[in-house]
Amino acid sequence: MLRIALLMLFRDRAKYVMLIVGLTFCSLLMTQQSSVFCGLMLWTSATVRNIGAKVWVFDAKVEQVNEVIPLREIEVTRVRGIPGVEWAVPLYVGIEQARLSDGSFQNVQLVGLDTATFVGRPMQITKGRIEDLRMPDAVIIDQVGVDKFRKKGITIDIGTTFEINDKTARVVALCHANRSFLGQPYIYTTYDRALQFAKPQRKMMSCVLVEPKPGVSSKELAESISAIPGLRAFERDDLFWSTVWWYIKNTGIPISFGTVVLMGVIVGIAIAGQTFYLFILDNLRYLAALKAMGARMPILAAMVFLQSFSVGFVGFGLGVGLTSIFGYKVLKIEQPPFFMPWQVPAFVAVIIILICCFSAAIGLRQIAKLEPAVVFK
Amino acid sequence: MLKRLSIFLALTGILAVTLLVFRLKKAPPTPIPLVEPSRAPYTDSIGARGIVEAVNENVIVAPILPGMITDIYVNVGDLVKKGAPLFRQDTRDAGAKVSAQQAQVVLLEARVKESEVKVADKQDDLVRADRLLSQRVISDDVQRRKYFELKSAESALDSARAELLLARAQLTQAEVTLDLLTVRAPRDGEILRQNMHEGEYAGVASSDPNAPSLLLGETTHLQLRADVDEDSASRVQTGAVAVAYIKGMHSDPIPLRFVRIEPYITVKKSLTGDSSERVDTRVLQVIYQFDKTKVPVYVGQQMDVFIEGKAPRLPQPENDKKILLTPKSP
Repeated sequence: MLRIALLMLFRDRAKYVMLIVGLTFCSLLMTQQSSVFCGLMLWTSATVRNIGAKVWVFDAKVEQVNEVIPLREIEVTRVRGIPGVEWAVPLYVGIEQARLSDGSFQNVQLVGLDTATFVGRPMQITKGRIEDLRMPDAVIIDQVGVDKFRKKGITIDIGTTFEINDKTARVVALCHANRSFLGQPYIYTTYDRALQFAKPQRKMMSCVLVEPKPGVSSKELAESISAIPGLRAFERDDLFWSTVWWYIKNTGIPISFGTVVLMGVIVGIAIAGQTFYLFILDNLRYLAALKAMGARMPILAAMVFLQSFSVGFVGFGLGVGLTSIFGYKVLKIEQPPFFMPWQVPAFVAVIIILICCFSAAIGLRQIAKLEPAVVFK
Repeated sequence: MLKRLSIFLALTGILAVTLLVFRLKKAPPTPIPLVEPSRAPYTDSIGARGIVEAVNENVIVAPILPGMITDIYVNVGDLVKKGAPLFRQDTRDAGAKVSAQQAQVVLLEARVKESEVKVADKQDDLVRADRLLSQRVISDDVQRRKYFELKSAESALDSARAELLLARAQLTQAEVTLDLLTVRAPRDGEILRQNMHEGEYAGVASSDPNAPSLLLGETTHLQLRADVDEDSASRVQTGAVAVAYIKGMHSDPIPLRFVRIEPYITVKKSLTGDSSERVDTRVLQVIYQFDKTKVPVYVGQQMDVFIEGKAPRLPQPENDKKILLTPKSP
């Protein structure tokens, strides 16, 4: 019986293709858009992932890593005095303007690493040595910066100089860092030098990076630091999620992507449901014949569900397959954002199953109403 | 045909997405081995900022007395010997004083002569009075009077002589003052900077210590004052080898000869001239000497200095693991 169901499905080529195209499009839209959304959200926390310290200490009102309120430098010593702190070092993060030799501008994400220890240094040095950062005016620029400067007609290599707030910066190494939300290149330098590059303010230090003592969990330590008035500490993952949630709550990004995903669902339901309904309607004669021959309702239901799920499976497979092609292409050039956790295909699979169930239910309603006498009409 | 193809493609798609999910889950690739930049001179180099000085440092020449400049005898780049006049200040006042003093001396010389004549006259009088007294022509009283007149004239002569001496000393003083208005080179050297103009007022203290009006230095040998940040200060060894690069010229290192380490760590000099520059970093100054180079190097020029140091290398990151450099907790 089930073989007959599949034969029925594959024989009607036009409707089969139509069903698959609808579901493929639906799952492609959903997976691709969700992945781009996830990628974009991942970009917002690029600084957290690039620096990678276990505990971050900010001003009490800071909610996310891209919007920091500067602290007094004395807070480092304060944090060092908290039990459970193995070490604490200052970090400068800020957006500064770099001026190129031809006079054009580029906003950059300046990161000042602790001068003595380089805590939070870039892990993937593609050219040069991290030790050279100790030399005068030295900075390390990431690949995004190299690409951005190349677009402006300037080749960045070791030894290239440009200006940050009228002060000379000399590239001593190139690195690869996670791309930031606004696409500003990461420029690493030492903390002291970063303060020289940055526009002078009364308070300059962005945050304190803390390593918990062995045996102390990062979460507990973050809580005990947050208990100090004026300070707020995040564990690395908490900071990541806090940043992501900040963007979800405070920007229109989730609405925009959510709408597209919803459109995918509607398109899926509309096309797949309607086509499947027509398909059942077309094959009503055969189903009536089967019913007349004594096929019971559960068997007919199983046949319809099999047809619906087969279409759903093929559509889902093609949809995620196309997304993967997009994903592999995009990952090479790192733009637009793309990140696919396992939840994305799982979520889309659930939606597709729901669409299939809905379509099958519409079909079954027709079959239930069916009189076996139809076959003789 | 369609059935097989569609199912095959669907399976491929699911496989592809599974692989993609796993690939994205994986940590970013580990850092590739670091490439040594060719220009790093030592395995452990200490970076420092250096400033070129003339050997034995530069002399800011300032006048002893304040005054208006009337003549300048030297130009930038002139080689001068010790004692050579550099510039002269307004001498009219001092010159007039000398003339007045000279006149005074002449006057007092005349007065001395006059007194001498008076003494001779009185002496003659006394000799005659003595003779007349022995002949009992005049009284003893008259002879005594003559004697005292002579004594009085002699004291007047002494007084006139003393006055002359004083006037001569005052003349010398006036001449010295006049001479001081001509400023001379305190030692051999080259004029590195000459920012004086006739008619300008030259004070005893320079109005701007960063821009001295007249700077003298010895330029046949140059020395380099390398500022090492206090973080790296302990890594500097006595006699450490070093090279310097002229800023922006990284192809041609200048070898340096170690001279000494200044034992006192000083506050970092504001080399960039930015008023907001952090000054709470202190620096260890290491003095190096170097010979004249192919490319001209000027006194006051900044150089990038690399001193060979001894320090533990930064640990290389292990594969697949993020390592943070940990400062030692006290």
